[in-house]
Amino acid sequence: MAFTFKKQIFGFLDLLRFKKMVPRRRAKLAEGSPAPLPSTYRVNETAGVLHPGFQSAKLIAVVQNTADTKTYTFETERPFYFRAGQYVTLGCKVEGSAVSRPYAISSAPKAALSKRVSLTVKKCGFFSGYLFDNAKEGDLFTLGDPSGDFCYEPVKDARHVAALAGGSGITPFYSMAQAVADGTEDHALTIFYGARTERDLIFRKELDALVSDKIKVVYVLSDEQKEGFEHGFIGADLLQKYVSGEYTVMMCGPAAMYAFADKELAKLGLPLRRVKKEANCTGVRDVAAATHTLTVHIGFDTYTVPADARETVLTALERAGLNVPAKCRAGGCGFCHSKLVSGRFTIAGADKRRLADAKFGYFHPCCSYPDSDLELIVPKA
Amino acid sequence: MKQYDAVVIGAGNGGLVAAIRLLQGGARTLLVEKHNLPGGFATSFRRGRFEFEASLHELNDFGPADNAGDVRDLFDALGVTDKIDWLQIPEAYRVLSRAEKLDATMPFGVQAFIDKMEQYVPGSRPSMTKFFDLAEEVRLAQAYSSAVNGNTDSKVMVGKYGNFVRAGSYSVNEVLAALKMPKKARDILNAYWCYLGAHCDDLSFVHYASMVNRYIKRGASMPKMRSHEISLALTERIRELGGDVLFNTEAVKILTDERDGGVAGVVLDDGTQIATRHVVANCAPHLVFGKMMDRVPESEIRATNARKFSGRGFTMFLGLDADADELGVQNHNYFLYDTMDTAAQYDRMRTIRDNSVQATVCLNRAYPECSPKGTCMMYFTTLYMSDDWGNVTAEDYFKTKDYVANKMIDRFEQDTGARLRGHIEEISVATPMTYARYCGHPEGVIYGYESQYWDGLMPRLQMMAEDHKVRGLRFAGGYAMRLSGYSSAYFSGDISGRQTVGDIKKEG
Repeated sequence: MAFTFKKQIFGFLDLLRFKKMVPRRRAKLAEGSPAPLPSTYRVNETAGVLHPGFQSAKLIAVVQNTADTKTYTFETERPFYFRAGQYVTLGCKVEGSAVSRPYAISSAPKAALSKRVSLTVKKCGFFSGYLFDNAKEGDLFTLGDPSGDFCYEPVKDARHVAALAGGSGITPFYSMAQAVADGTEDHALTIFYGARTERDLIFRKELDALVSDKIKVVYVLSDEQKEGFEHGFIGADLLQKYVSGEYTVMMCGPAAMYAFADKELAKLGLPLRRVKKEANCTGVRDVAAATHTLTVHIGFDTYTVPADARETVLTALERAGLNVPAKCRAGGCGFCHSKLVSGRFTIAGADKRRLADAKFGYFHPCCSYPDSDLELIVPKA
Repeated sequence: MKQYDAVVIGAGNGGLVAAIRLLQGGARTLLVEKHNLPGGFATSFRRGRFEFEASLHELNDFGPADNAGDVRDLFDALGVTDKIDWLQIPEAYRVLSRAEKLDATMPFGVQAFIDKMEQYVPGSRPSMTKFFDLAEEVRLAQAYSSAVNGNTDSKVMVGKYGNFVRAGSYSVNEVLAALKMPKKARDILNAYWCYLGAHCDDLSFVHYASMVNRYIKRGASMPKMRSHEISLALTERIRELGGDVLFNTEAVKILTDERDGGVAGVVLDDGTQIATRHVVANCAPHLVFGKMMDRVPESEIRATNARKFSGRGFTMFLGLDADADELGVQNHNYFLYDTMDTAAQYDRMRTIRDNSVQATVCLNRAYPECSPKGTCMMYFTTLYMSDDWGNVTAEDYFKTKDYVANKMIDRFEQDTGARLRGHIEEISVATPMTYARYCGHPEGVIYGYESQYWDGLMPRLQMMAEDHKVRGLRFAGGYAMRLSGYSSAYFSGDISGRQTVGDIKKEG
């Protein structure tokens, strides 16, 4: 050491001071209040409203919107809050399987603060069919965290949203329109709502009632030509007819609508930052039927279950009645993050995993099909 | 009932390392984590075509293989270094204060740092040289202290590390004044203070010097696949060593033994009881003593109540659709301050309205391939020095978040001349509520207990033995004896893991 450090004239005073540090801390700790430690904190409480986690929800009203669509309103255990456009998973036991599906919330964010939330569901698959035919007032369900980024982002999005809705894809935009109308969100919203016929339009009356200087609705019927409705599909011409200047496109609908809209939007030259697309659940894949065996470690237990090569790994786990995490069913949310010990799988669509997940053999059962027997470690739900 | 030699609660940086140390010491170990991922803050997330780093700006004290720092040595000992692809950060930092017309870009390397400082502040060389001499002695003294688990021999301390002991009770500013460091040099040198979260009139010199020295001497590192790569590598190692890991599993209770009040078991969120006599808690003593244990000694209640929460975190993540050159983002690591008076700055960081400080990183400046060609990623972080976010209701939450995000973008554009607006493709914002949600920390605190003068690094290390009051219960992570930050949390896991191995061996 090239020099001698001294703060005080006599170095030993610095030494004495150093020696006092421990007694001083000891005294400070002993002087602390004997009152019980807080059991909770305000920030953590608010976090619990924003992210309530799984909770039970009682079905309190069922309204039939169209021939194949119903809106289910639930009373939740706890108040919560979300951003218009987000989805929740709704689940229950069906014939011994733990089944859940993500549905966009169709009610306004404010209503959730009073423990009310509505989901609008089209009868089109296993779980929605079950709901349509069986769910009745008083039934209990499990409701997940409000999730997803299919929301208006004031910091980056244009002040005008062009919403492209196909069929039951109207639900997040109905929530968004209510949020704009009640002042929760502040932006212009032009909804292009595509359906086959006028009778297939969900929330027709409700949407018309929300029309204002900020909210416009353009109905686009593919199978009908009628006064007051656009005819055909939602494309570049229609967009240019109704919106101008800077706008952000948000779309929610079936894959066929996305394929068409993608081609149309290409004509408009919109950058990626101006287009958002809600993901759809991973469906079945078109391969020959084959059965593989899954060896599944959950907690301290190991299960052996069959898996159909045409269905996702998650579906196989649910069919076996295993209690496993499921949320977006599209590979995006990461909630079902599991470790593959051995075996091969194919991911449906783009690989949305983190880089290190691929490196260390983690995958998302919700969007992966088994190509061989698999051994995997899945966290409990 | 399931039985383990030790249960580690929380798979944060400290918990992961503690679990490996326990397994290496032959202990049958269970690691439980309430989130579905390991790492705590050390993780990443995908948005569109970007994968964002959740928290790590740069890893301190790792260094390249030929200039290995303590963290690399630790990772070597844990057996994980080679599981991770590393890169070196090109320069230390750029500190900017528009109000005080300060703009300095500092390099890594002690000599280069001193030389650059001399250019900015002529005449600073002697005091800067002394600073690094002193800082190196701090490092050596700490290495000695760690080697003897805090039971230092005062003769050795005074004899071998006299300057360390004489400087050891003072704040950063007190020591720098004694070194006669010119004010502007102090301002530039103190830029890292927000990484520790206590201002330089209160922050222990030893703690600060130790960190600055580790950064400047070894440079800083990053795992290429973000900190998630480290967290998964550590998890992989735990499984290789035969450890059990349960995600989505919260430890809700620590059971105590009626005879000695020590650890008897752990209850998981599904009611499963685990028998164990040893717990390493990688979470806040406020949570452990506040809700996880039924019988807590009054001395622990008092000690916990006496401590002060450090900063609550806020980070904005941007994915931009133009590269850093096009946007005018020149550097990897920026500190933007209103004032270089750290105590005044600390005061302004109490409220959402007054806080506009930011530590900003553009990862592409260290690793151009971290996002697709023609894009870049940036993170903007600040701390709140009071519970002001506790005043924000759920209904006001999203607007408040946007208010701060906009302020951060404006500030960065004004101070640096870069242009970000019009290029934001993805945005994500983490607030104290987000940190509270994922890691359970009270008030969304991200730095554990504040490194205030009386509760700083030195007295915590010296009191390690007497702070251990409940038999079988040790702590790791930012609330523990090494304080917060990645490297500190890893070391705390190393210490508590090894000490618990010792506890188990003593029991026979």
